Amino acid sequence: MIAPIQATGLGKRFGRTWALRDCSIRIPAGKIAGLVGPNGAGKTTFLHLVAGLLAPTTGEVTVFGRSPRSQLLLLLDRVGFVAQDTPLYTSFTVADMLRFGRRLNSRWDQASAEQRLRGLNIPFDRRIGHLSGGQRSQVGLALALGKRPELLLLDEPVARLDPLARREFMQGLTEAVAEDGISVLLSSHVIGDLERVCDYLIIITEGRVQVTGEIEELLAAHHLLVGPRIHESVRPPDVEVIKASHTERQSSLWVRGRPPHMPEGWREQPVSLEELVITYLSTPGAAALPRPELEEVSA
Amino acid sequence: MSWVTWKQHRLEGAWALSIGTVLAAAIAYVAYQLHLAACPDAVNAYCFTGDLGGQIAQQLANFNLYTYGLAVLPALAGAFIGCPMVAREVENGTHRLAWTQGVTRLRWLVTKIVLVFVPVMAIAAVAGALEVVLINQLGSNPNRWNWFDQQAPVTVAATLFALSLGLFVGAVMGRSIPAMAVTLVAFVIVRIGLAELGRPHYLAPLAYTTHDMSNFNSPPQVYPGAWWVDYASFYDSAGHMVSNAGSANGAYATNVTYAIQHFQPADRFWTFQGIESGILVGLSAILIGFAIYWVTRRVS
Repeated sequence: MIAPIQATGLGKRFGRTWALRDCSIRIPAGKIAGLVGPNGAGKTTFLHLVAGLLAPTTGEVTVFGRSPRSQLLLLLDRVGFVAQDTPLYTSFTVADMLRFGRRLNSRWDQASAEQRLRGLNIPFDRRIGHLSGGQRSQVGLALALGKRPELLLLDEPVARLDPLARREFMQGLTEAVAEDGISVLLSSHVIGDLERVCDYLIIITEGRVQVTGEIEELLAAHHLLVGPRIHESVRPPDVEVIKASHTERQSSLWVRGRPPHMPEGWREQPVSLEELVITYLSTPGAAALPRPELEEVSA
Repeated sequence: MSWVTWKQHRLEGAWALSIGTVLAAAIAYVAYQLHLAACPDAVNAYCFTGDLGGQIAQQLANFNLYTYGLAVLPALAGAFIGCPMVAREVENGTHRLAWTQGVTRLRWLVTKIVLVFVPVMAIAAVAGALEVVLINQLGSNPNRWNWFDQQAPVTVAATLFALSLGLFVGAVMGRSIPAMAVTLVAFVIVRIGLAELGRPHYLAPLAYTTHDMSNFNSPPQVYPGAWWVDYASFYDSAGHMVSNAGSANGAYATNVTYAIQHFQPADRFWTFQGIESGILVGLSAILIGFAIYWVTRRVS
């Protein structure tokens, strides 16, 4: 199966600044992948490279095995993209926006786009400029889903929405994806949202990929070990310590892997997704990437 | 794509059509009144009948609005129609919406260029052609050179050039308002530069030489409908220039024996219209090419 997105050594430089560096990612088909990282980490750059809006400086990215630059025509109908802040024509009505989608996309599904927006009680004769932020995001999503994409790219789709609109948006997204088996890559810095909908995680910091993997596997592989205070230089065997913090009496170690046996006085706790993300984001040097040989086998 | 273009640009289209219609109507009306008055062979002079219709036409002619309009409106079309075509999308971020639909950027841009440029150029063609008709009413030998920028096909080529310039500048700058300012300034520089530096030399000017200093007038009436591209130069018997200011004082200087003045004859007018149109169309093609390159390769 050809991966929806495969990046190898992908890099993008703007002037003297590298927005993205040496990025190698393979996103599996039929999953909702979350792209997480602080502002300015390179999430938008990565999405723009995948959507064919930008050309890479180094390396390459393929979408369903094709280059978004030289073979864009073959991909435009298959990839739905909602850019940051959901750009739409503010003077168009909702119906105009759907007509725009119908006119420009050969596989357009008018009925399902209409049904989606009707279900959300979005008035078709209202101008985009007069919609609420949540409604606007929903129109953007309906437009991207209406073209019946095989890959959907969403750049911070819920960043400006209130919690209720966020939940509605994510719910709509999950339902649509479950129905059509679309692969999704969505960026966000709201980890709570990702936890509910995503099954694959990519963490980017300072233009580099730090973590990629199935969320379930990542959660199963990471643990928090809490025990009596140990010296800072002490490293438990057979695990990789991502982060350690020490109080006067107690040491906490966020580790990848599982020690074969727990020493006296230590206990193991599961790590939540939010904790996992924050642990990695606060230690930019740490990484959890699939080993190259595994990559080859699965490819 | 054509519906999208129509939806996005119909407002500008309505403006262009309204202004173009008013302008064309004014020119047609003045031309008709000139025709009614049946001017004698008074070169370059307006004449109208004494009734109300003629008086209105006289006012319009005195006001000269259509003469300026034909020279200025292409620039405004370039700024207000050409600049926002790409710049407005980039400003609002909607280029990321438009360019990720099932249509390539190349097709997106070419469709817009064709559907926006052609109607505006058609309006310029109608107005410029009516001006040709108007000038035809000015006696048997009207000096067309006086209205070089107002006649088709130059009006059409100038409009295409302005639109292409606006499109290109807007695409590169990505912001409408500054692009409009740059477009207006660049258009004026190119048009004036071409008129002042290029136009007199599209073909080598002919020289008119006269030894009859007693009956010299400048510009001479010997070649009706000619464009005198410089002032007369006055020479003494040894062939030294005494004055090149074209002033009559030179002619009365005792040692002057002959005078030379250069001109483009009336029958070159349409050739020159063709040459200048060709230059403007060529520049437009280059600008459109750069705009396409910029949109398909550079903007993101």
